[in-house]
Amino acid sequence: MDDRWALSRRQLLRTMAGAGVVAAADLAWWEEPLVRPGRAWGAQPVRFQFSVPEPKRTALVESLAQRFNQAQKDFEVKVEFVPQAQARQKLVTSIAANNPPDCCQVWDNWVGEFEGMGAVEDLTSRVRDWKHGKDVTPIAWQTVTVKGKILSFPWVVTNDGVYWRTDRAREYGITPPREDWTWDEFRAAAKAFTKLDKNQYGFGMRGQGTWAILYATEFMYANGAQVLKDGKVAVNSKEAVEGLEWYLDLFRKDKVCPPSVPTDGWRGIVEGFGRGVTNMYIHNSGSSEEQKDFVGAPNFATLPLPIGPAKKRTSFYFSETLTAFRNGKNREGAWRFMAWLMDDEPNFMYCKTLGLLPARKTLADRPEFAKDPAYAGFIRSFPFSIVSPYLAHAGWGGKLDSEGVPLFQQALVGKLTAREFLDKFADVLAKNMT
Amino acid sequence: MAPSDATVAVALPRSLSSRRARELMTGYLYLVPVAIALGGTIVVPILKAMHMSLFNYVLIKPQEYGFVGLGNYTRLLGDETFWLTLWNSFVWVFGSVSLQFLGGFAAALLLHQSFRGRAVVRTVTLLPWIVPGVVVALVWEWLYQPNYGVINDVLLRTGVLRDRVAWLSDPGLAMPAVIATNVWRGVPFFAIMLLAGLQAIPEDLYEAARVDGAPVTRRFWHITLPLLRPIIIVATATRVIWTFNYADLIFVMTGGGPANATQITSTYTLLMAYANLDFGYAATLSVVLLVIMLVFTVLYLRVTRGIESVT
Repeated sequence: MDDRWALSRRQLLRTMAGAGVVAAADLAWWEEPLVRPGRAWGAQPVRFQFSVPEPKRTALVESLAQRFNQAQKDFEVKVEFVPQAQARQKLVTSIAANNPPDCCQVWDNWVGEFEGMGAVEDLTSRVRDWKHGKDVTPIAWQTVTVKGKILSFPWVVTNDGVYWRTDRAREYGITPPREDWTWDEFRAAAKAFTKLDKNQYGFGMRGQGTWAILYATEFMYANGAQVLKDGKVAVNSKEAVEGLEWYLDLFRKDKVCPPSVPTDGWRGIVEGFGRGVTNMYIHNSGSSEEQKDFVGAPNFATLPLPIGPAKKRTSFYFSETLTAFRNGKNREGAWRFMAWLMDDEPNFMYCKTLGLLPARKTLADRPEFAKDPAYAGFIRSFPFSIVSPYLAHAGWGGKLDSEGVPLFQQALVGKLTAREFLDKFADVLAKNMT
Repeated sequence: MAPSDATVAVALPRSLSSRRARELMTGYLYLVPVAIALGGTIVVPILKAMHMSLFNYVLIKPQEYGFVGLGNYTRLLGDETFWLTLWNSFVWVFGSVSLQFLGGFAAALLLHQSFRGRAVVRTVTLLPWIVPGVVVALVWEWLYQPNYGVINDVLLRTGVLRDRVAWLSDPGLAMPAVIATNVWRGVPFFAIMLLAGLQAIPEDLYEAARVDGAPVTRRFWHITLPLLRPIIIVATATRVIWTFNYADLIFVMTGGGPANATQITSTYTLLMAYANLDFGYAATLSVVLLVIMLVFTVLYLRVTRGIESVT
């Protein structure tokens, strides 16, 4: 090898990865030199599975793992990145094959399924003695509690709110809504925002993926409906049908949504707003940082969901969890790593970088979250936020996507009425109560 | 003369196997690696899938695992979505292959002519076939994007459309849209196959026909088409099998939606396996797909056997 090449290939790759981390985030916090610590001989590494929707997250998590590895010498954390679309099935198959990672990042609606497989480490007793236990909001603990057992850390939390183009509202003379705005005001704004000659639509409705149903359900709740009543499926009640009818009509009759709605998933609604095709959409705080890049921080705000005819509104609250597995090889190490990720600095950086909210009150109260208009709609929605009713049964997790969404799309395109959809959907839910 | 000194022929001990048998054995031994490879990668998984289809095997419900006999097959018969996907598969295969064939034939006839830059045109014609299926799907998904896709933009600017069309979000248009993409991708396959066939037809036949005063249509009908028949059948049959199992394009472009409008049996199988993690039912769907393909393959072999004897 040429002597001028002082770096080995491995060193070069590592340096490039480190440079990528710094370049990707442009944060002073990550600019410390990466020094690889020594490891205790024979220590079992901790395998941490992380699903990767975007390069920024990859860089962030890699950086966090390196920081943890620098902070202690007992064992090493190795991050295993998997595409988000495959994260659930990869975890389930690894559990079935008795080779799960030690811990992972998963959405709360998957934890019930893993618990049903008897795979999840019960953290209840450890959490009781954990130093930040009381700092986590009770509703955040609810998202990770199954049958009375705390199964995960709520790493970050979020709820749903409305993104609103402030610059366009000014341009079209639309009065910014009050915080307690109503369905009628929501529809009126959507109509005023719709400018077909400019290829602009008032509302970017979601038609693809689990959350297409969740957003519709929030409107059903605002009309007084419930998914479960007295332990029985009540999702096809009169209130639910009327609420859903109103919501679907935004697309079907009012034509305030783009024609791509039936196949618009998360990426579709976020990009639709970011590219200026839509002027409102419903999502959690997770796309607020992206929208700052897309449309610019001064050009949008977030609002709570509107109040329905039943004089109520609901925002579904959920968490991205840190979950450990019973058959992990280094369970103590997994706990220590997860607890470290919940500490002030790592937790703050993770949430802030990704635009999600901390489950810990002391962090959520920091001005970076509490005073940022991009988060205002979500923080103000906390008083009426509830844990998603679809977390009630583990069997509902996958069915929402595979059976619920195609039915919902049929309702969107007019092949089913709201009543027919909800009757069929109620059957799917009733069959999969576990 | 005393026979004592005479040389007596002594029979050599016979080997246990004849030469013919040893040759056969050697031949079979050469086949062993292939047999192991094919057995391990094709036969065993097929048998495993058949076995799995007889069980209630939902990965997230290990406690419910158990033998259900033909239970999954009974479920399949009553599954409306399955029958819809089977119909969609027929539309998908028939629509794709017939249009690919027509486009490919037209392209082959054009490319068979002599003109300046023919080599370049032939190479360009091949390009869609070279691009990986997933890339094709992503590119076309963007082209079809109703709000900022190129297709709508061009059609609006040229006055062909007055409103934006949701190509992949409208249940009535989604299947034609994905078929059009598949046609774009598959035309080169037919073009190259048929071009090779055209080049193999002796020029004398056309010469003789011209001398006899046969017009171009009769030359095409009585010379080109019959002599291309073997290639047409082989290429079409191969393409039918590929297209029936080809899930990438639809999976990426529409995910089977909207409202199952583009859900074909192979994407439905993927959905059952990887979204529902219902391996038992997914295996049942796979076995049914296998049976359908076997029936088609038997028909195909019968037809091609006839062709081989002719050629």
